[in-house]
Amino acid sequence: MTQRYDIAIVGSGPAALEAAINAKIRNKNIIIFGNKDFSGKLIKAPKINNYLGFYDIKGTELKNHFEEHIKNMGIQITEERIDSIYAMGEYFALMANQKQYEAKTIILAVGMEYGKQLKGEEGFLGRGVGYCATCDAPLYKGKSVTIIGYNKEAEEEANYVSELAAELHYIPMYKGEYDLNDKIQVINDKPIEIKGDEKVKKVIMENDSIDTDGVFILKDSIPPGQLVPGLEMEDEHIKVNKNMVTNIKGCFAAGDCTGKPYQYMKAAGEGQVAALSAVEYLSEI
Amino acid sequence: MVKELVGLNFKQEVIDADTTTVVDFWAPWCGPCRMLGPVIDELSQEIGDKANFFKINVDENNDIAQKYRISSIPCVIVFKGGQIVDTMVGFRPKQDMQNIISKHL
Repeated sequence: MTQRYDIAIVGSGPAALEAAINAKIRNKNIIIFGNKDFSGKLIKAPKINNYLGFYDIKGTELKNHFEEHIKNMGIQITEERIDSIYAMGEYFALMANQKQYEAKTIILAVGMEYGKQLKGEEGFLGRGVGYCATCDAPLYKGKSVTIIGYNKEAEEEANYVSELAAELHYIPMYKGEYDLNDKIQVINDKPIEIKGDEKVKKVIMENDSIDTDGVFILKDSIPPGQLVPGLEMEDEHIKVNKNMVTNIKGCFAAGDCTGKPYQYMKAAGEGQVAALSAVEYLSEI
Repeated sequence: MVKELVGLNFKQEVIDADTTTVVDFWAPWCGPCRMLGPVIDELSQEIGDKANFFKINVDENNDIAQKYRISSIPCVIVFKGGQIVDTMVGFRPKQDMQNIISKHL
């Protein structure tokens, strides 16, 4: 049987790390998902003067302090990208590629690094717009599909979908060599809007438009609302109360993903509150 | 209990039914569908006396999937008096599903 953690923390920025150390202090069995740089934003910061206790510090230096801190507490980052989290009722199922993890509670500390949505993207979600091409591809057998790909992995999905779809348009949102099969039409234009009536009909681009039955948008990072189906958002942020509780029982959030200001101290503070709320919730269930 | 629907009994079990009917459109290759399955099972056990629960494999029942314009799965449709009263696309937490279905009981 899969091990069921007390708390799974998604992200490795200041909010996530602060949540992790507080959960660890309270003796909870935790897992934290992220990367070894912790946060792309942190290592890029040239100078930080508003983090109490550290005057005139570089982002990379602060990162080293964080690293030493968690190392001393025996916390290790699991370097996996979580693709989706399902609220199963009594627990959460976290999916990373082919692997599955289980946790009683989750803390989302995913930051704000995902791009803006296209016009019409949200409105047509489930009516022609999707985020998982391999999941829904068989529904587009013999139809026209458009894939807007933000990374190399999207090419693999495109190749798979092209075997089923009648025609496949691929709009790359990055530069490079495209490893796509001959059936696929590469379109070098910038998508602006998804249009249709009851269902998707067209993708409008800067210079042209394509008639299509389905649009798949394949990005690096997933907006929280898609990461955790059913999660309530408020504009582009996760809706939380002052205890960092979301609309889903056992799911908490902290840091930039909950709203402005986007600051290290605010993120860390929220991470701490979220961890303590999770600990309290665990004692009640 | 969640019963498996095939094209033949769709009209009888769903359209002509007197009670609220919940239909889970799924397919074996769809990951989120596999996650939603147990959630629907639990709901059917909890509210199964007030509503009928069915699942329908879209691979084997393409015509019905087309008719209801299923373009993304899982897709759960709530029928009442032969009419669609609610549609939920994608995985939803149990609590959400329960709230939505309860509105139509």
